[in-house]
Amino acid sequence: MKYESQKIAYKYFVLATLLFGLQVVFGLITGAKYVWDFDPLINILPFNTSRAIHINLLVVWLLFGFMGGTYYLVPEEADTEIYSPWLANLQLYLFAAIGVTAIAGYIAGWSWGMPFLEQPTILKIGIVVVALIFLFNIFMTMMKTKKWTVIQGVLLGGLVMLAVMFLFGIFFMKNLTTQYYFWWWVIHLWVEGAWEIVTGAIMAFVLLKLTGVDRALVEKWLYIEVGLVLFTGIAGIGHHYYWIGTPNYWLWVGGIFSALEPVPILFMVIDTLRDVKERKVEITNRLALYWAVGCAVMHFLGAGVWGFAHTLPQINQWTHGTQVTAAHGHFAFFGAYAMLNLTMIYFALPQIKGLKVFNQRLGMKAFWTMNFFMIMMVLALSVAGVIQTYFQRVLGMDYLTTQGFMKLWFAVFWVSAWGFAIGALMYIVNFFTIGKKQVAV
Amino acid sequence: MTKAQAKAIFVWGTVLSAVILLALTYNSLSQIPQRTHADRLDAQVATGKWVWQKHNCNDCHTILGIGGYYAPDLTKVMSYRDADWMRRFLNDPGAVWPASRKMPNLHLKDQEITDLIAFLSWVNGIDTNNWPPKPMAATASAGTVEKPGEAVYRAQGCSACHSIGGVGGHVGPDLTKVGSRRDREWIEEQLKDPKSHNPNSIMPSFAKLPEKDREDLVDYLSGLR
Repeated sequence: MKYESQKIAYKYFVLATLLFGLQVVFGLITGAKYVWDFDPLINILPFNTSRAIHINLLVVWLLFGFMGGTYYLVPEEADTEIYSPWLANLQLYLFAAIGVTAIAGYIAGWSWGMPFLEQPTILKIGIVVVALIFLFNIFMTMMKTKKWTVIQGVLLGGLVMLAVMFLFGIFFMKNLTTQYYFWWWVIHLWVEGAWEIVTGAIMAFVLLKLTGVDRALVEKWLYIEVGLVLFTGIAGIGHHYYWIGTPNYWLWVGGIFSALEPVPILFMVIDTLRDVKERKVEITNRLALYWAVGCAVMHFLGAGVWGFAHTLPQINQWTHGTQVTAAHGHFAFFGAYAMLNLTMIYFALPQIKGLKVFNQRLGMKAFWTMNFFMIMMVLALSVAGVIQTYFQRVLGMDYLTTQGFMKLWFAVFWVSAWGFAIGALMYIVNFFTIGKKQVAV
Repeated sequence: MTKAQAKAIFVWGTVLSAVILLALTYNSLSQIPQRTHADRLDAQVATGKWVWQKHNCNDCHTILGIGGYYAPDLTKVMSYRDADWMRRFLNDPGAVWPASRKMPNLHLKDQEITDLIAFLSWVNGIDTNNWPPKPMAATASAGTVEKPGEAVYRAQGCSACHSIGGVGGHVGPDLTKVGSRRDREWIEEQLKDPKSHNPNSIMPSFAKLPEKDREDLVDYLSGLR
């Protein structure tokens, strides 16, 4: 850590960590509703509310992580202090306040009712304000020195795209098809566009610092990866336009472009492994290394393989709207984005705390526990999804009868989720106790 | 490969894909009104869409295949449920569908229910490129023709309480062989006035069912032996 203002990242990581824990708690509550038909919370916290909170917390903690990562990364890349630490703090508290209001609102029945974008309009405007403060602060920091490294240029581009796309999710449209058309501009162009760009930049930064490989090499690969992500991802939005009332040429466009989507993610795996193999410095922070390599692998499996498995229209017509999507959702969000944030946190945390060496045992246990049980959860949901696809879609059994046949696998999913929760708890404890009882350097 | 070439991949890859998306968006937006029968999208449908959003229905149900996966997809719900059934169900989901996984009572006003049904009826007409597909097994076993009464049985949601051949709920009696236990007149009377045979029956009356539908249903049930 070279600059004092990089410490701002710590507060963002604290919130990200706490909200991650809360997301897991709401995940357990939501999952229980699949396992037991009797729901004692049906009138207080019905499924739709607990799911809304579960998925909103996911997005919010990941965004806190991205913002913290950005505040850590940009000073080093731009070679200067953050333009305004005061604005960075204001933005943090404002975003946290909006988040708390949104969740309290959901419990009270205040919702805008589009999945992931349930925030009432006034809160969405608040989120736009937060984004503007953030982008302004980051841009002004970069303008102080105007050192346009590829990493920070790509990062800024991704963050601007992230903010711009959100605007397409604010307006009420009378036509459900049009509403969903542009809803995907937020959801898809985030996860298969803007977020991938941000991830690419942050990962490039971490690998550069961790392995000491040539900056020119890292930056060249960053361009190629991000270029291919956007080339396949932007038109790849077509895989969401198969069945929502849009013209049938999307079956071709979506099928072809999204079949290519795993390619750049595979490149990321190869790139990461090569950087590690050709490292020029000894890697003492093995936790950051494990999360980085793990992220590349799980990103590829979750987003690449599990995404490809149901992206072609010939398959998707049977699997669309089943638990197959839920399996992919859990795997991809964890592998690509949760793990990216954990990589950045484990990279930055020891430096923020001024630790040259630290005990990595609990962190390692958290890494293996979370990864193992996430794979178990995904496999269970995948089996449930295949059962649903065959019974409901192929055989024509009605929805609820089919759900009865999936129960065993919901139970496996839920028990595995408890395993994951234990791993998450290990991480949270590790986050707050790291470096304690050791000599700070 | 040089860094300049890598940058060119980045710039041109992005531009090309974005141009494709924008051009097809322009075309799609011109086709959506026709494909969704936008001429039938009146103020009531729009109000119904807001009822749908306000109560966050989409985080349990999917629609157009998107949403929570906890409750049935409602894209084509008005193809297999009539407005009367929907109204009874939305008024008190627990009473109409007492079996297994439950929907909470949203305490909707009559007007909200009317608007919501208008919205779902409009959604039912969207051209979804034939999604959801017709179940393959149903097409493959096309030799067995469905009796008209079987369709009424499904449309009225009888299987929420009763089961046939092991499929359905267990709140009411099993109907697998009901035809060998009860005659036509008994079944017809039961449908019209469930309390006539058992004053404590919790079964709702189907006296309002059209004459033809009730006869078909009685034919079907009395044939189950």
